[in-house]
Amino acid sequence: MKNIITLNDLIIKAVEELDEERVIKLASKALKSGMDPLFLLDLIKEGVKRVGKLYEEQKYFIADLIMAGLIFKEVLELEEIKAQFQRKSDEIEGKIVVGTVKGDLHDIGKDIFKGLMEVNGFEVIDLGVDVPEDAFVKSVIKYKPDIVGLSGVLTTTVESMKDVVEALVQAGVRNSVKIILGGNHITREACEYIGADSFTNDASEGVKICKQLLKSK
Amino acid sequence: MEDAKVLQQERISIYHDIYDDRVPKRVPVNINLPFEVIAQFGGLDLRQAHWNPAMLEEAVDRICELVYSDVCVFMGSFRYPSFYHILKSQSFKMASNGYIQHPEVSGMYPEDYDYLIKNPYDCLVERVIPRLYKAFNPDDPIGFALNFAKSLLAYKEDFTLSAEIRKKMIDKYGYYPEGLFSENCGFTETPFDFLADQLRGFKGISRDIRKMPGKVAAACEALYPLVFKKGLPKKISKYSQVFLPLHMPPFLREEDFAKLYWPTFKRMLDEYASMGIRCTIFCEHDWMRHLDYLYELPTDTTLWFEYGNPKLIKEKLGKKHIITGLYPIMNLKTKTKKECVEEAKRYVDILAPGGKYIFNFDKSPLLLSDIKLENLCAVAETVRDYAVYTNPGEVAGMVFKKEDYKASALKNFESRYYISREEYEKLYPELSDFARGKLERLDDEMFDYLMFLLL
Repeated sequence: MKNIITLNDLIIKAVEELDEERVIKLASKALKSGMDPLFLLDLIKEGVKRVGKLYEEQKYFIADLIMAGLIFKEVLELEEIKAQFQRKSDEIEGKIVVGTVKGDLHDIGKDIFKGLMEVNGFEVIDLGVDVPEDAFVKSVIKYKPDIVGLSGVLTTTVESMKDVVEALVQAGVRNSVKIILGGNHITREACEYIGADSFTNDASEGVKICKQLLKSK
Repeated sequence: MEDAKVLQQERISIYHDIYDDRVPKRVPVNINLPFEVIAQFGGLDLRQAHWNPAMLEEAVDRICELVYSDVCVFMGSFRYPSFYHILKSQSFKMASNGYIQHPEVSGMYPEDYDYLIKNPYDCLVERVIPRLYKAFNPDDPIGFALNFAKSLLAYKEDFTLSAEIRKKMIDKYGYYPEGLFSENCGFTETPFDFLADQLRGFKGISRDIRKMPGKVAAACEALYPLVFKKGLPKKISKYSQVFLPLHMPPFLREEDFAKLYWPTFKRMLDEYASMGIRCTIFCEHDWMRHLDYLYELPTDTTLWFEYGNPKLIKEKLGKKHIITGLYPIMNLKTKTKKECVEEAKRYVDILAPGGKYIFNFDKSPLLLSDIKLENLCAVAETVRDYAVYTNPGEVAGMVFKKEDYKASALKNFESRYYISREEYEKLYPELSDFARGKLERLDDEMFDYLMFLLL
């Protein structure tokens, strides 16, 4: 028992220290010795959450968040995980559709946010980059998400984001979702201008906001 | 025309005062707008205009008439679709709105590090460029050779067309003639940013920093002579500038920055300074935790800030370096004209005293819809009329002397794809000096183009 507790801690610590090789080695070892894949993923998530905390404390920076996301992805790729892991629907906190809006091909901010949201129990439907407004409308109708996340790096995306919100209004589905904007250039004024419910300049803050948005729905 | 000449003299003198470490008559207004904004202003289809830069001239003329600036309002552009299209670029693509963007790419794999460290230019030419530019197809060498030549012709044509427009406007409106695209100036990236950009990509470099920091440091050393040479202006004058957009530092931990980014970056600016060249660096994102490092850069480095506390920046760096930027371009869209003007005065009041300040926004707008032109004009004119010094000619802070900087002997690089003058002498003793010089210059132009494809 003592050994298993130690292994758990080691896995969490290896993720926290962003030691990819060690995480994979320990994870494989744990799975071979019979650890439940879902339990292993909880450990990885705990490690990623600690990375997020170090980021909030400004001890870690964006490059570290990306590395944590890459490690998480690597673990998901392990055969045992792929074979056995299927999320039970009652564990899902909420559903979100994300995409980088029309006219913008950047995906890094969106991908960091997506990774953190998944770790925090959200089902994420990723529409990719340069996504036109009608694709957002269609996926809101199809997937019935709780939240729509609009991402953008370029300042031009303010207009594209506004177009998405207006298209959702036109389609009569605006009030069925909460809308959050993500991007460095988004200010309170820009958020009001666009007509979204919330905005963030920071992916990990975005996760907290989404949890609040879920409660307020 | 006479008026333009007089105005140009005034503009030259205020910029030269800044670089000669004197308080100028007034704060230079350094506003320039990118290609896309001006195309929209002229009601042009951006997709068409990008393919035919000559279309832009009338709109450039009208916007120069409308917006006050001491430098040409049209900044020029690096990104025309012609050559990227011909070369089947993966790094630069046109989005649905006609805007040319740079998606995350990774032209170099982790297993390429050893080759890059040993033979950097060979690695770029043989491995990285062919992965990012799919026209480099080894199965079709002749088709590729023709397409490559065609792309170079397109590159020259489009850059020449936009340079001609700028030249006409500089003469007509009497702008300060230097800028990113003049032959006294250069453009490059730091070794680390170059590695993190099209070579490894943001995700790739984030992983390498943790997994193989020694190789990252060695790769920066190997790339140093290449990116340094790329930045060198064609002609070096007392007012030469090299522009470097800095990308990665805000996203790195301090210890990673100090070990991996800073050494080759600092050495690069010192080496340019030893040649009398000063640099303008765009400090993308938030640099407030790196201010002490910025202080260590050569005197009169122009620091273009995107974010930050103007008071703290002026206090810490304002006596040594030239400060620019900070004024949020988003204000021009979201605030009233009165608020925009008051904000401009507030920045001037903080940053102008003692000299070493050039007015500019935190970043360039990307599309016309990012700004209200009326507010832009009001801000520019306010700075011109309000930011006037009572003590022009006084010494402004610390004085730049190139003798203060030591050049580490410029390591040249060896590559089978780049032939130096000495090699030409050995290879072709029968050629005249002029002929060998010409061949060497053509090698330099080819070097310049290939490196450009990775910037």
